[in-house]
Amino acid sequence: MRRRGRDWHAYLFIGPSLLGVLAFLLLPMVIVFVLSFFHWELLSPPAFAGLDNYRRLAGDGDSWHSLGITVVYVLLCIPLQTVLALVLALLLNQRIKGVKVFRSLFVVPWMATPIVMGLVWNWIFDPRDGAINSALAVIGVTGPDWLSDAAWALPAVALVNVWQYTGYNMLFFLAGLQGIPQELYDAAATDGATPRQRFWRVTLPLLNPTMFFVMVTNLIGAFQVFDTVFVMTDGGPSQSTEVINFKIFGTAFREFDFGYASTLSMLLFAVILAVTLVQVRFFGKRTTYDMS
Amino acid sequence: MTKRILLYATLTLGAFVAVFPYLLVLLTALKTQGQLNSTEPWVPGLPPTAANLTKLLGGEFPRYLLNTVVMTTLLTLGQLVFTTFAAYAFARLRFRGREVLFWLYVATMMVPSAVTMIPLFLIMRELGLVNTWYGLLAPYILGTPYGIFLMRQFFRGLPAGLEEAARIDGAGPLKILTRILLPLCRPAIGTLTIITVISSWNSFIWPLIITSGDDTKVMTVALATLNSGIGVDHNLIMAGGLIALVPMVAIFIFFQKYIVRSVVLTGLK
Repeated sequence: MRRRGRDWHAYLFIGPSLLGVLAFLLLPMVIVFVLSFFHWELLSPPAFAGLDNYRRLAGDGDSWHSLGITVVYVLLCIPLQTVLALVLALLLNQRIKGVKVFRSLFVVPWMATPIVMGLVWNWIFDPRDGAINSALAVIGVTGPDWLSDAAWALPAVALVNVWQYTGYNMLFFLAGLQGIPQELYDAAATDGATPRQRFWRVTLPLLNPTMFFVMVTNLIGAFQVFDTVFVMTDGGPSQSTEVINFKIFGTAFREFDFGYASTLSMLLFAVILAVTLVQVRFFGKRTTYDMS
Repeated sequence: MTKRILLYATLTLGAFVAVFPYLLVLLTALKTQGQLNSTEPWVPGLPPTAANLTKLLGGEFPRYLLNTVVMTTLLTLGQLVFTTFAAYAFARLRFRGREVLFWLYVATMMVPSAVTMIPLFLIMRELGLVNTWYGLLAPYILGTPYGIFLMRQFFRGLPAGLEEAARIDGAGPLKILTRILLPLCRPAIGTLTIITVISSWNSFIWPLIITSGDDTKVMTVALATLNSGIGVDHNLIMAGGLIALVPMVAIFIFFQKYIVRSVVLTGLK
């Protein structure tokens, strides 16, 4: 009886969001899935293609190359960004002077409008008189051509994303750290735990729910990186930054091959889903903290 | 002492890296076209000029800013209410289909929005909502999976026995949420508010696709228009970027005061 009552409340609480998710997120997603079995050039009506698009994908070296680049990008970005964000959060979770000012300054990069930041970063990476190479020249180092060098363009794009999202992720860690009861630190200190032990035994396990959110959403976002590539390199030079989402965008809106773009989206979806499931298992196994 | 100096040195260096690109935005916004061509991006143009700012603010730009303010306010209010309710249910109530539904929500984040935008646009066209405020707001005002995921994690992080006493006293889920859980979630709500305000403020692709008239045109779309066509005026774009940034920094400073330890929680056992 009581249980049914709780059910009823729960459905009422999720109701509005469920309506939005079904109508505006899930339905478009299902349509994309269906379209992945069609040829559709946007102007003419879609024509059923069976598994054509998937067969094409199997032999499409360019798209697999794009997926590979995306994986490299994710590996360049995520570990660095997550560790930096956590370190910053720990530093700024102390009672020190100016903590609010520093917090604000670190989050500012995330407030960037992509168009504006694309222009600015192109100046900064300019090989001749950009800020980075000018600074390197002072210490006698000749910097690379950055965005026009196939070896450096992807790391440069990754660097800009790390710049943009480190402070943003710091916010979640900060909020998570605020939720850890002080008593646990006091108890650990009484038991003679070193600061390092306190970090590994108290802080990190208790940040588990926050870490799970940060890792899952950041990986979802990183696999879909687009803005920075679009405003900085347009996929070049020689496809060295043509990440999968950029490839999808190009297929849909430059080649107007919406059916195949849908198929590529399904590939990306499958990859992200697999990566997420691995994380669910990984974080699920770790003991979660229960105060009761 | 050395430790303290090292700490501040690290933080200052980090802050410099974080803010440096904005320094270029600021300097460029205050330059004339001539100064832009004759000076390095990080050298201030002398004398600085407010012409770019006044040109923008004297034109249609304030109107687009106002539209952005309206959109941001409505999306944030909707997100705060609906997201909090949904996240609470996913985190602390038991009901059939809970896990499946939750992961369905999360799965919708895994397909690139550039691709789902086309079907979404077609759905809006069927509903007759193209180029309306309803069409602009509808997909995001009922709460987003991202926000729900965030709040669910925080609700889950609260101690398990919290509701028991209240439930024995006969409090329903609504009362438990508003009286007991929400006061403990101030850091999370502060975070959710900040990220909703700022991501709504900067949202670009959907407004670009769904709106076309001046009545619903938002700041980001107006900025993109400045960046297209012949004779792109970098000074003007930077001035626009600067004007767009200032309110966001203010919002952040205001709401970050909620991201502090909640006193009540530390008193729990």
